[in-house]
Amino acid sequence: MLISSSFGPAAGKDDFVVATDPVRSGVSTWLRLHTYNVRICHWINVIAGGYLLLSGIHIFLDFPELYWGHTGYQGYPAIFKLSDWGISWDEAGEMGNRMWGRNYHFTFAWVFLINGMVYAAWNLWTGHVRDRLWPRRDELSSARLRDELAEQMRWGSPARATATSYGTLQKVSYVLMIFIFVPVMLLTGIAQSPSIAAAWPWLLDLFGGRQSARTLHSIGTVLFVLFVVVHVLEVLAAGAVNRIRAMITGRFRVPEEAQ
Amino acid sequence: MSRMTADLTRTTKPGGAISRRRLLATGCSDAFRPPVIRGGLIGAADVLTMSTTRWLLTDQPLAREYTRADIAPDFPTWGQTNPSDEVYQQHLSEGFANWSLSVGGLVERPRWFSLDELKRLASRTQITAHVCEQGWSAIGEWTGAPLAQVLEAAGGVTPDARYVVFESADGWYESIDMFEVVHPQTILAYRLNGDDLPVGNGAPLRLRVERQCGYKNIKFVSAIRVVDSVAGIRRGTGGLSSDFGFHWYGGV
Repeated sequence: MLISSSFGPAAGKDDFVVATDPVRSGVSTWLRLHTYNVRICHWINVIAGGYLLLSGIHIFLDFPELYWGHTGYQGYPAIFKLSDWGISWDEAGEMGNRMWGRNYHFTFAWVFLINGMVYAAWNLWTGHVRDRLWPRRDELSSARLRDELAEQMRWGSPARATATSYGTLQKVSYVLMIFIFVPVMLLTGIAQSPSIAAAWPWLLDLFGGRQSARTLHSIGTVLFVLFVVVHVLEVLAAGAVNRIRAMITGRFRVPEEAQ
Repeated sequence: MSRMTADLTRTTKPGGAISRRRLLATGCSDAFRPPVIRGGLIGAADVLTMSTTRWLLTDQPLAREYTRADIAPDFPTWGQTNPSDEVYQQHLSEGFANWSLSVGGLVERPRWFSLDELKRLASRTQITAHVCEQGWSAIGEWTGAPLAQVLEAAGGVTPDARYVVFESADGWYESIDMFEVVHPQTILAYRLNGDDLPVGNGAPLRLRVERQCGYKNIKFVSAIRVVDSVAGIRRGTGGLSSDFGFHWYGGV
């Protein structure tokens, strides 16, 4: 039941809860792992991100080609055609509903944006970003990263199940997601809007044109899917029930190996 | 001349910008919300989207204009490319010599314009990107009469004018608000890349509203009507695309 102070830098005496575990004999130790803000923002993000992905796929399927520059239309030289991958234009069109897609994409873009701004403002203010999310200088040495990557590749690694602070790779990927990926997705998204492009023509110059922005936005979608897949696999590897419960209730049962 | 008419005249001068305050003063606070707000979260997002982008456009910037070198080699045709309407086909066979545009509703002198009369109005030529909501975009050189000029030639709009409704020969209709009407790049185009507007692109006349998606750029325009409300027109949402369920505001 002794918990090293390296678990959760913000851990004060109130952060530990000792309770009887009805399943296992004896007593378990619980740790308050995720704040209200992180938990609420996380699940709103799951809903908004899910809708953004689904509606984005619908929009794409209605015009399943990608181009580079300002110009791109059926018959213009494309850099990606879904028909090259065995799904014809007509088949894709039947699967995609761009009206539904547009309505929900722009609705959940607002949900995602407002939620993200609340998350960022709150966690920059409280120091969560600085204390728990931002990688420390010593964590970024190549030797340390190499070790962590090797550890990461072992599916049943015990360190995963007991970890109550973010690993370096986790920190790096979350910081890149929040402060690089999301802003780029936002900007490549709005660069496609004729009204915003009129107000901020530098967006077109930044990405090289509306079609380039659309292509980068689509590549970003693939990266987002990869992120979600790895994230979910990591949760499964690190003890799905305990991890998901912690993200819902905030309380993490410290596994016995760590006690 | 009414206040709004005076504003239309002023604001169509080259380089003229209208302040948000002026638009508000002339009853153009419609600029921040669609004529019909949909229910639920989608409706809230519609208003957020429209008010945010219109706030960014407060100074009425022009949509980017490109050079001749950027013009698409074969400007696409999409959707309706040749209305089967008998009257339209008759006009087409006559080279639109007997075609005319009806301009009515809340204008001081409702009237008809032949194609020649429209071409005699001061014209504007702009090389812009057509941005389709489906995902494609193509650059073309459009020449036409600024919509504000056309309304001015019909005596100007009355003070209660809020929307301009466009009817097309294929039965389509769309509407735009005064914020878009007074914009210098909002033109009724009769030429594409120096030639008469091809049938596939909406001959003889189509709307160019450069800061909105393709679906608002209605083709085959046959009548325009200035109204104080879109209620009572078809399903009452202010356009066929919004009747279907698209957002009335095509700015994103």
